[in-house]
Amino acid sequence: MKMLIYGLVTGLFFGFLLQKGRVLRYDKQLGALRLMDMTIVKFMLSSVIVGMVGIYLLYDLGMVKLSIKATILGPVIIGALIFGIGWGLLGYCPGTSMGAVGEGRWDALWGILGMVVGAALFAEAYPMLLRTVYTWGDLGKITVPEVLGVSHWIIIPLFIVAAVLMFRWFEKKGL
Amino acid sequence: MKQDSGGWSPYIAGGLSGVVGILSVWIAGKYFGASTSFVRTAGLIEQVFGADRVAQMDYFIKVVPRIDWQWMFVVGIFLGAMISAVTSGSFKLQAVPDMWARRFGAGSVVPRALTAFVGGVVAMFGARMADG
Repeated sequence: MKMLIYGLVTGLFFGFLLQKGRVLRYDKQLGALRLMDMTIVKFMLSSVIVGMVGIYLLYDLGMVKLSIKATILGPVIIGALIFGIGWGLLGYCPGTSMGAVGEGRWDALWGILGMVVGAALFAEAYPMLLRTVYTWGDLGKITVPEVLGVSHWIIIPLFIVAAVLMFRWFEKKGL
Repeated sequence: MKQDSGGWSPYIAGGLSGVVGILSVWIAGKYFGASTSFVRTAGLIEQVFGADRVAQMDYFIKVVPRIDWQWMFVVGIFLGAMISAVTSGSFKLQAVPDMWARRFGAGSVVPRALTAFVGGVVAMFGARMADG
């Protein structure tokens, strides 16, 4: 029960900020995919930068656990390509679709319905995929610092510098 | 209704959402995600029609159909966005997004609904495959 309340409250804050950042809208999501408006990229990367610094600090202090998903090239690459096609058609992603409805953009409801159907279809296909796609290129639970054999405090600043340079370029180009 | 008072800088709103993410991992041990909740919802609905079948499906054994932290997180996103939109005058009932309306016409409600539905099916299948 406590976890359910944590989930609700965390979602409230996150949904509030997503709406304030104006990233819930179809026009913003398609704007990024059409390379016309990088608002959602700015929001996502800012979130990632702050999150990675804070979470790795807490990790070094032994206060949190990382949640690393397995890198399996087959399903990640093929799944991402399929996701991209769907995202381009829908114009919302799973989390933002709920926020979009909260903002009154109720065309997202059709997408939510579609996503529940898509999840059901995936559950049907899962045993077959497990025997095929999921066996292609399983690299296990790896991270960038681990693969390169360096401290995460080398990778994090490099990531931040690259992101800031990209932000500056977006602003210069009016994206 | 109030006039749209404008949004916040995406850098600020995004950065603050990063802080929310850190606090969530610290306090609840939970990382943000949304798409697993669509699987749980599909399972919960399918249980109504055939609980035995759902109980035997590999994917629903892996992702058990139930209301959990993330499911409530997704509900929270809906409510948080609504609070922000209503209090800033930016809530707007819209069946066709502006960009879509400029290209396909403001009356193309049915084509938009069909595209959004098909897009949703495809997007979720891909997201689940990539475990995202």
